[in-house]
Amino acid sequence: MNTSKLILAGLCLISVSFSSCKDDKEDPAPVAGPGAGTVTIDISNVAGTVNVDETGGTFYTNSSSESFNVTKFKYYISKVQFYKVDALIYEMPESYFLVDESNQVTTKLEIPDVPAGSYTSVRFTLGVDSTRNVTGAQTGALDPANGMFWTWSSGYIFFKLEGKSPASSQVDSSYIYHIGGFKNANNTNAIREVEIDFLGDSLIVNGPRAAEIHVFADVLKVFSGPYTISLAALNTQMGQGGNAIKIADNYAKMFTFDHLHN
Amino acid sequence: MKRLKYSVGIFGLIVVLFSACSKSEEGGSKPFFYIPDGFPNPVYKFQNNPVTPAGFALGKKLFYDPILSRDSTVSCGSCHQQFAAFAQSDHKLSHGIDNLLGNRNSPALYNIAWFPNFMWDGGVNHLEVQPLAPIANPVEMDETMPNVLVKLKRSNSYPGMFEAAFGSDTITTQVIMRAMAQFMGSMISADSKYDRYEAGKVSLSSSELNGLQLFRAKCESCHKEPLLTDMSFRNNGLDSYFIKDPGRAIITSIPQDSGLFRVPSLRNVVLTFPYMHDGRFEKLMDVMNHYSSGIQPSNTLDPMLAAGGIPLTLSEKNDLIAFLGTLTDYTFISDSRFKE
Repeated sequence: MNTSKLILAGLCLISVSFSSCKDDKEDPAPVAGPGAGTVTIDISNVAGTVNVDETGGTFYTNSSSESFNVTKFKYYISKVQFYKVDALIYEMPESYFLVDESNQVTTKLEIPDVPAGSYTSVRFTLGVDSTRNVTGAQTGALDPANGMFWTWSSGYIFFKLEGKSPASSQVDSSYIYHIGGFKNANNTNAIREVEIDFLGDSLIVNGPRAAEIHVFADVLKVFSGPYTISLAALNTQMGQGGNAIKIADNYAKMFTFDHLHN
Repeated sequence: MKRLKYSVGIFGLIVVLFSACSKSEEGGSKPFFYIPDGFPNPVYKFQNNPVTPAGFALGKKLFYDPILSRDSTVSCGSCHQQFAAFAQSDHKLSHGIDNLLGNRNSPALYNIAWFPNFMWDGGVNHLEVQPLAPIANPVEMDETMPNVLVKLKRSNSYPGMFEAAFGSDTITTQVIMRAMAQFMGSMISADSKYDRYEAGKVSLSSSELNGLQLFRAKCESCHKEPLLTDMSFRNNGLDSYFIKDPGRAIITSIPQDSGLFRVPSLRNVVLTFPYMHDGRFEKLMDVMNHYSSGIQPSNTLDPMLAAGGIPLTLSEKNDLIAFLGTLTDYTFISDSRFKE
């Protein structure tokens, strides 16, 4: 009698101490639900109607009739969301992607566990939310070793475009656009929201069958859009505010919907 | 008899479970990080990065290892020396790689877990990304993180140390920075004569005491106790033009921030000479003379100094310097845990 009481009390205590031991705050794995699947956003980086040639071997013409090539084209996409009409159905947790034209694998963004259903648009952020800019050393796509972090003025470079142009007044004819800035103060926020509407079509997610969204990202739009950016007038933009905001307003419009594979 | 055995056995099991739970420090020794009496809560709280003996040891090895520089000639410790409270003694500016000179005076390193941002211009916003700046700076270590990762991965000693510190021998920027944050964030200076006086353990000389009173009347508004800085950026009247180094404005792009620099902590100030962001003043008396009669006018001069600085008599200057001498923390600069 006494013994069994003791054992019972002991067992209770043990279970208490076990549960208090757990200090990991991991969220339970999201339950994807029946029919959930992986959606791939397949981005083609283009200059007008041709694919971007990052070897620099091809020259394009911007809206200021300036000839230029591309030797680097990298940008962050984050916070990928799936919408049905105006309702947010699913947001991929921890969705940070570094799209790098020199590494074609990175131009296909895989979004796992998208709930079964039909969707009319996808939205994402071009850039990195302010929280991840101010909370120390990050990992994965956000590893500062990826070369997209300003070390002297902490913060992510959201967008890099580099190349050469006869219009540039630099000795080596180079141009460099490194765009970032996450603070609202002083109009330096270069984070931009992008919506890819499927133009009446519907993305169907139903089980393991792969669904794909094909999107164009047109580098010509960096030079024309809400603002005209001329390589003769601006060959170097590294830092926040001013012309960085104009370029950000332009790159927010560089994506267009192509087609779906259901 | 049988009952006793059961209960003892269960009790033993409970004790084992409880002790496995607690994150005990090494038996009785000083914890790596603690909040000294009277200090506010730190900004860097070691969240997701608790200090462990293995993490601290790894951070220390990285801090003193020139492997972080392009040609393995410069370590963090090159410009941050323990005997100078981790500033660089007697150097206006520091020599980096290829003997190139930096453009600002090496700041001291202590109590940095309380700093909301770093560098003379506040450009670095988090302790864990601070080392990235000198590593990348072309006149300091001039190295890239991809190269650092390659070098650390192929070394004989590092993978095992990362395994011991973080449970995996996979080396990433994040774990490098976290180990360094464990080491540097544990640098606490709070055992100076001034601290002991505040704790009622020692007394100050009449000159030191007078200096303390003068300090509280004339300096405290910027060099706020107990950290001896209010962490703000101010133009303290060194120059009228800031073309050479606009300071804070480089980071904010706000014209009104031209000529503003971080108010430095004055703890260990005797050891951290020369003074100011460019190391222009050799002696504390030069600093006294500057505030007393050398303030240069400009549009961004701090309002506290606008009415002709802080007039001081010679004996007041001497008393202030006597007080500043009480801020030297010999415990900190001789702490073997931080020794190279």
